[in-house]
Amino acid sequence: MKQQNQRLEEHLIIEKPYYLPSGSEIEIALAAHKNGLPLLLKGPTGCGKTRFMQFLAWKLKLPLITVSCHDDLSTSDLVGRYLIRSGEAVWTDGPLTLAVRYGAICYLDEIVEARKDTTVVIHPLADDRRELPIEKRGELLNAPPDFMISVSYNPGYQSVLKDLKPSTRQRFVALSFDYPSPEMEAEIVLREGNVTQDIARSLVKLAGMTRSLKESGLAEGASTRLLIQTGQLLGSGIDIHTACRAALVEPLSDDPELLGALQEMVSSIF
Amino acid sequence: MRPATLTKRFYDLVAPDIPNEWDVEEVLDPFADKSDAICEAALGHVPVIWPVSHSLCYDFLRLLPEALHTLSLEQIPRWIGTTLDLYETKGLRAAQRFMQDDLKEYLSKLEGSGGLPLSVASKQLLPYIRGIARDDLRISVSRQCYTDTRTIFVPEEVNFSTNYDTNFLLYKLMLTFQWGFIACNSFLSSPNKTQDLQDFFNSFKSPLLASAIYQNLESIRVRVFLNQELPGLMKAAEKHIFDKLQDESQHPVPQSPLQLAIIANREDINSLLAKTLCNPDCKAYTEGLAAPHDSMRITELLYKDSEQGEDESLLNTFSFQGVFKLGQVVTAGKIKEQKMGEELSDLMATYLLSLSKKELAALMQEDQDKKSGNNLAESDVTMVMDSEFAGTAKQDIDAPLLVTINNQEIDLPQELEEFSKTFFKEFGHLPAKFISSAAGKAGHLMLEQDIESSSKTDPTPEGATNISYDEWDYRRQGYRKNWCTLHCKSLTPVHSSFIRNTLDKYHGLTIRLRHQFEMMRSQEHFVKRQREGDDIDFDALVESISDTKAGLPGSDRLFIRLQRDERDIAVLFLVDMSNSTSGWINTALKESLVLMAEAMEVLGDRYGIYGFSGMRRSRCEFFHVKHLNESYGDKVKERLTSIAPSEYTRMGPAIRHATKILQDVDAKARLIITLTDGKPEDYDDYKGQYAIEDTRHALLEAKTADIHPFCITIDQEAKEYMKHMYGPANYIFIDDVRKLPVRMPEIYRALTS
Repeated sequence: MKQQNQRLEEHLIIEKPYYLPSGSEIEIALAAHKNGLPLLLKGPTGCGKTRFMQFLAWKLKLPLITVSCHDDLSTSDLVGRYLIRSGEAVWTDGPLTLAVRYGAICYLDEIVEARKDTTVVIHPLADDRRELPIEKRGELLNAPPDFMISVSYNPGYQSVLKDLKPSTRQRFVALSFDYPSPEMEAEIVLREGNVTQDIARSLVKLAGMTRSLKESGLAEGASTRLLIQTGQLLGSGIDIHTACRAALVEPLSDDPELLGALQEMVSSIF
Repeated sequence: MRPATLTKRFYDLVAPDIPNEWDVEEVLDPFADKSDAICEAALGHVPVIWPVSHSLCYDFLRLLPEALHTLSLEQIPRWIGTTLDLYETKGLRAAQRFMQDDLKEYLSKLEGSGGLPLSVASKQLLPYIRGIARDDLRISVSRQCYTDTRTIFVPEEVNFSTNYDTNFLLYKLMLTFQWGFIACNSFLSSPNKTQDLQDFFNSFKSPLLASAIYQNLESIRVRVFLNQELPGLMKAAEKHIFDKLQDESQHPVPQSPLQLAIIANREDINSLLAKTLCNPDCKAYTEGLAAPHDSMRITELLYKDSEQGEDESLLNTFSFQGVFKLGQVVTAGKIKEQKMGEELSDLMATYLLSLSKKELAALMQEDQDKKSGNNLAESDVTMVMDSEFAGTAKQDIDAPLLVTINNQEIDLPQELEEFSKTFFKEFGHLPAKFISSAAGKAGHLMLEQDIESSSKTDPTPEGATNISYDEWDYRRQGYRKNWCTLHCKSLTPVHSSFIRNTLDKYHGLTIRLRHQFEMMRSQEHFVKRQREGDDIDFDALVESISDTKAGLPGSDRLFIRLQRDERDIAVLFLVDMSNSTSGWINTALKESLVLMAEAMEVLGDRYGIYGFSGMRRSRCEFFHVKHLNESYGDKVKERLTSIAPSEYTRMGPAIRHATKILQDVDAKARLIITLTDGKPEDYDDYKGQYAIEDTRHALLEAKTADIHPFCITIDQEAKEYMKHMYGPANYIFIDDVRKLPVRMPEIYRALTS
């Protein structure tokens, strides 16, 4: 038990994460938590979904257990399994069970990456039953009021095979995330990337330009995260053109023509 | 080489074609006394040119002996490459002219003394300017540089410097500067105001001079704006372009201080400007506070001065400033206004129809009273739509919009209100014409129960199966029952070398595609926890032992097996065969289908290919090219070759039929991929909003049946309605039709992996 608590405490967020709300998402999330409703976050890469969850966990003073989903994720990876310790079989809780048992927040990042039969495991937790059956132990866990489950995905992917089942989807309170407004984004880049206001504004301007290139073949424009990373490179003494190239342009595409055009934008702005 | 050998070799090369003997003899005769190397070189290029164009091939052979005086044998392949490029972009004439007349020019280019052609630079410039402008601007070729606010025209070639980078920079500067005029509102906000500006210029004795002065003043504004907005570009321009322009020895005509200010280093702008403008104005310009009306006012002043002093230097402009073509701006603005107006009127009509019957009756009552006894076929509804503060000096676009119909006020839904506001903001007024037509449309529909008079049914073509489909009418939010008749036919097979040529043309790509798709097929991965397998799954084993120790029955699934993933995907390709696809688009569509088919054969996904076209609801046509389970044989190939543009694009029934076909197929994922070049449109009233809504509904039906629709479009204007029709992330837009064959397999790969 003591060991479990220690495991959980590692997930507590002590320092206040920086998050700039762009709408009423915090109120909605708090209300959802109060009413025991699960949360679905959707939005493009690097727009602040995970940061929002960290902020929420900090505000609620609850541990945040994050699971990054992948297509090899099995039910036992989430729920738990027996392990052998010194010749004895010991049950070890998976991250989901841990969160349910102690009333933490369980955050399944990029849920569409997980196989559909794995995601089904959260169904009884994500409706009014709020329970988790652990078949191997013959145990039925009832979630305490503090427990919250939240999932995230990026609707921009164009693969047919990666979509959320309606039966999964229709259990959640959904929050749609997008890149913040230019002023707010500049403020975020300024703070997180530790750059001057001018640079922050120019970076945001550049990001806006790349985001309007969707119809010209760029799958996704530069995310806020990329802008912050560019700022961080700048802070370490790398010159602006190189920093933009390494942290903003190259990660976006492999197409030489698009790369050329992006590089031209960079050299125009800076 | 002997003439007989030459002729025989030639016939072998062009087989199975059998060209006229006298043609062949005529062109091959001059080679009889040439060295073997030259003959080999000449014949070596025949297979390259012959399939593209026979007459170009004759021309090549005819001109080659002479060309060899100036070109070396090694330069010939590149020369042919350029010729063929020209043939494909501009046609036979241009290619012939190039071969015949432009040899000198070509040589100078080869030596690197030529400039930078737009065709080379535009691949990077187009996404660049679209990104900068955050708008779908287009780039087009014109002798002078100018913009009509939708397209930026630049010269075909820039020959400013011998340096590639500097020439590229000049192109960039031209585009950015023209965009600057748009962004700085130099053409004023609406087509009417642009017209006023033109009238203002015309009021001078020399409109040209007035316009040039105004443009120079505006260029200062743009320069200051760009200094702020794109400092990097302006720094580079100062260094590489402005410096050279400042060198007066290059300019026979003296430059005015105003012009010099445009190309001055940023510190000098102020002092140069002060020579022409008085102090407060000068400050307004350098600080970016001036507006177009300041420029108009100062134009008047400067015009007077220059007329007295007969100072012609104000007439000059730099190449990157280009010229102002206000007439074109007005036209482009009006086209946009027209389009948005139509959209607004459609939205309005939809909304009016969604009002409850009672409200409508009340609204219409008055109207009917007025025209009692009159036939109701044409209703006349007075509709006023205006901002609350319209007419007052200070128009506030945030004020709520009020719509009154026959003096009764109605509330607008948010979407409509926002659209109207955008319109108002852009054009300064609301489109009265379109709004009344919306009211007319709606009124018309309300009063007449049956919208369509019975249209003439064409006789059914023989050998076709006919199926009726419903069509969605968004105006009444219901289906028109059995509205469209779909004739399913097979395309007549055509024998040609199209497939072979395509495979030759994309030889490298085909090999790469095969490889890539093969990788997809053999998506091998290890599956854990199997009853039998190649290796022991230690995780499972440990778990099983633990379970046993814990008193639970241990699992016997203890092995790892290498498994090939069954893809089990069924996909239908629907090809738009409307008239608008004629020419290059059709070729590109077919080429991409050939490449797709090759790739799909490797991959093993089930796929079908169908074309659709037709005219009117009574004759929608659905052409079979390949059924899902048909093998990709000669007949299929011949049918594929015969895909050709015919009539209109009534997309709804085709999608419904494809849905029906796929519904009977059992697969893990089922897809309909539509290849189209534009909006759905038919000869009758299947247009605009109606067509989009019907197509959207057909797609929704497909989605309900668990079929995933996806669209690949090459429409330049596609952006807005595609998202509405297919939903975000369910379509892709290809800006250059030539890229389609390359992109399509990529898209398919991304879609299904």
